Amino acid sequence: MKWSNVSLIYCRELRDQLRDRRTLFTVLILPLLLYPLMGISLLQVSQFMREHPTRIWLIGADHLPEAPALLIGQQINPELLDPRIRDLLHVETNEEDDSRFQGLIEPFADQTPQPVSEMIDRLIRRGMQHHHADLAVIVPNPNPISPPDTSGGDLQNRILLFRNSASDKSNIAADRFKAALGKWQAQITGSKLREYQLDPQLLTPVAVIETDVASRQNRSAALWSKVLPLIIVIWCLTGAFYPAVDLCAGEKERGTFETLLSSPARRDEIAIGKWLTVMSFSIVTSLLNLISMGFTGFLVASRLGSGMAPAMGIGVPPLACVGWLLLALLPISALFSAVAMAAASFARSSKEGQYYLVPLMMISLPLMMLPMLPAARLDLGTSLIPVSGLMLMLRGLIEGKYQECIPFAGPVCAVTLIGCWLAVRWVVRQFNSESVLFRSSERFGIATWIRHIMRERHDLPSIGHAVLCGIVILVLKFFVGTMIEPPANWGAFSKQTMIILIATVGTPAVLMAIVLTRKPLQSLKLRKSRFSLIGAAFLLAFCFHPLFTWITSIVIQLYPPTTEMATTQRLLDNILSGSPGVWAIIAVIAIAPAVIEELAFRGFILSGMQSIRSDFKAIILTSILFGVAHAVFQQSIVTFFVGCILGFIAVRTGSILPCIAYHAVHNSVFAFIACYGPSLVDGPFGWLFSCPDGIHVTYRFWPSAMLIGLGGMLLLWVWEQGSPNSPATALWKRNRHRQESFTFWTKRILPPPEEH
Amino acid sequence: MIHVRKLKKTYSDLQQGEFVALNGIDFDAMPGQIYGLLGPNGAGKTTALRILSTVLKPTSGIATINGYNVVTDPAQVRHQIGFVSTNTAIYDRMTAWEIIRFFGLLYGMSADELQIRMEAIFDRFQMNNIRHVLGSAMSTGMKQKVSIARAIIHDPPVLIFDEATSGLDILVAREVLKTIERLREQGKCILFSSHIMSEVHRLCDQVAILNRGELLAEGTISELSDRYEQPDLEELFFRLIANHEQNREPVNALV
Repeated sequence: MKWSNVSLIYCRELRDQLRDRRTLFTVLILPLLLYPLMGISLLQVSQFMREHPTRIWLIGADHLPEAPALLIGQQINPELLDPRIRDLLHVETNEEDDSRFQGLIEPFADQTPQPVSEMIDRLIRRGMQHHHADLAVIVPNPNPISPPDTSGGDLQNRILLFRNSASDKSNIAADRFKAALGKWQAQITGSKLREYQLDPQLLTPVAVIETDVASRQNRSAALWSKVLPLIIVIWCLTGAFYPAVDLCAGEKERGTFETLLSSPARRDEIAIGKWLTVMSFSIVTSLLNLISMGFTGFLVASRLGSGMAPAMGIGVPPLACVGWLLLALLPISALFSAVAMAAASFARSSKEGQYYLVPLMMISLPLMMLPMLPAARLDLGTSLIPVSGLMLMLRGLIEGKYQECIPFAGPVCAVTLIGCWLAVRWVVRQFNSESVLFRSSERFGIATWIRHIMRERHDLPSIGHAVLCGIVILVLKFFVGTMIEPPANWGAFSKQTMIILIATVGTPAVLMAIVLTRKPLQSLKLRKSRFSLIGAAFLLAFCFHPLFTWITSIVIQLYPPTTEMATTQRLLDNILSGSPGVWAIIAVIAIAPAVIEELAFRGFILSGMQSIRSDFKAIILTSILFGVAHAVFQQSIVTFFVGCILGFIAVRTGSILPCIAYHAVHNSVFAFIACYGPSLVDGPFGWLFSCPDGIHVTYRFWPSAMLIGLGGMLLLWVWEQGSPNSPATALWKRNRHRQESFTFWTKRILPPPEEH
Repeated sequence: MIHVRKLKKTYSDLQQGEFVALNGIDFDAMPGQIYGLLGPNGAGKTTALRILSTVLKPTSGIATINGYNVVTDPAQVRHQIGFVSTNTAIYDRMTAWEIIRFFGLLYGMSADELQIRMEAIFDRFQMNNIRHVLGSAMSTGMKQKVSIARAIIHDPPVLIFDEATSGLDILVAREVLKTIERLREQGKCILFSSHIMSEVHRLCDQVAILNRGELLAEGTISELSDRYEQPDLEELFFRLIANHEQNREPVNALV
């Protein structure tokens, strides 16, 4: 790659974008105008945000005592109200209503509270409408603060509130009145205590005094650390997207892309030059937004109230905070620019490119929101999550927690770099793909599409079919999983497991193999296999089981299970304990998944993935889908590694039968350990297992290491013995041979290049 | 020089399924010669030229430019060619000077060498008046001039023109054709595709007639006239295409 070409393309694209009025407006002008305009709107709207008066319709006001007074005239006693709302709580009392409702309120005076009858409810509602009241209050007792009659009925005097929960104004009126009632009750209690010559402070034996020890700078940093990373990430993506669409899809649309493709610039030089341009715009957009937003926000906060901004912790962000933000801008922009380019490079027009923004935002949003959760903290697990790890690190650095952050700088940077690399590689691939570069609008119709599918059927599935099958399985699993009730007993559990496996995993794979391919059995890798290979897979599962147990424990340390997951596990343990025996458990959670999942994943999906002509990539992609299909994140990681071994066996043997054997044994051993627990230590397997805490069974190190070593040798044997001429492998090898012979003859037939 | 042997290109399309854009065509074009590719729309001319300019990869067959294979040595091939097509637009937000300079630098020319070459080209094509005009403000004729200037900035031995006069008024088209003739005089090997008979008749030393990806006839215009006993190129073209279409129908009926 020539960096001079990258630099040339970068400078050209930058100049081109700076001359585009639309990009300039979105990236440079809009941030500068947007926030002042929003500030003006906020100041304008703030006048409508004042507190509104509320109205109370009070029946039985005569029953209220004179001291301590709840009512003074037609107003609530001002001493009982917050000074801000003293004039906002109007009370309407009416002697005529009192006499009219006398018969109605009497039953409330000395009877046990009953649900208000529908008739009374209707009357009160009508009265509230008539009086334009937000809250109706009934004081049924002639003297609500006198000691209640304990001879029968209720021990408590009562005041009844009727509010309309569907109306915000009514809810506000109720809250205001309840606050006043609280203070009034405290006054009553105080006077009663004094009457009995008791100290009113007996009610509050301990006074709680709360002091915030955080410095103003720390308070400010804590606030900014939550807000700024999110803003910066959103603007990095937005700032990257429009230039990315213009530089990729826009160029294709304008016809200048073909000019560039026929120039000496290589595809990777073009991709990197464009990526750097998008990154520059992303950084500038974020910076301008931050500056404009910060400046406008500060002005608005100071205008809204002198005490408001400091009270909310808003102030000028600390200098260190700004410094970390500037430093973090580079990796965040790099990642989002690469991702935006990856999406935009696939689009054939600017319009199509813009459609991809929303899905991209929706995918990124959970990663952006995760660090905002109060419980989220930076550890090895979270540092490996793209975007989230970076944001958590930035948050920690802004808060000054350098000791906690620096150990994870390596994983965070590595994940970000890998993300950028993958996205840029994808862009280069798109720039090399004729179907992406020159595809034109195709009219889509169901009939045409079905005809196309039937016409284009090949012997084996394509990568598109494999990905489609994976997505169908994931979607079906999601819907079925959320719709059915969790099983209560073994019978329900076994039925549900079988139905879910058949309906969501087995059926899509088998149907797609029949409909989309000409040779369904080969597509599902349903071929005979040598017994020695099946036996080897059987043994291999035993040998590698300690390895996966260790991987599981590492994953659990990295990503500890949540309380819900622990509860689910307990429920599952209870269900399994109710099973008729260990063989029933093995049938349901080992053999059935082994057969059905292998048909789908190592059968149809792996066959499709092998059309990309790289066994390694095919195994990795299939294993990723296999991992994701196991909904629990921790389980997904472990199953990814199991999927890699299974994929290797499938590719080498060309059949899923050894994979079924491996899968069944792998799950069965887990079931055995779960069922027999610590008793295994005393049995014939005592040499292999230990139980240090008396509850959890673990593998002993040296015997396990030997087993894993034996497994490695078995794997090598499978590599040697396995026949690589599975239908899919043979097919792509034939194609590869054709390609090689093409290059071979090209080199021999043609004369050598002339010197120029 | 250009060598093409058994060049084949197939596409997969939702409507038509897999279809053959080029079905094993052969031809050679020599330096100092204008080789014309003549054919109706969809004949495969643009596909062939895109393969030669390394933008597309052939499904099978061999194509070399000055000995460099378009599949195995695309970088070398790009240095040997200048490609002008109706699809190769110029940048709207760059001036004529900037566009040509950008491509000159991409071809690895030094700043001094580029300056001298650009001055000469701008003088020769009388483009000094549009030196600082943005692409978006240029007329179609101006844009085509800039495109040709961009294609010859690195003085390539092979030039590929794909319907270079399409959409141009008669004055500009005439000027473009004169430019192409001048380039032939300089010893360039020129591949010229068009569906305008008069242009092909005027310019081309050798002609290949294509239809539906197949090469129907090849030779000088006088050779073709003698071979098919048809003095008029346009009439000859119509007959060949009509015969080819007629011959295809029974085959299609069988399929």
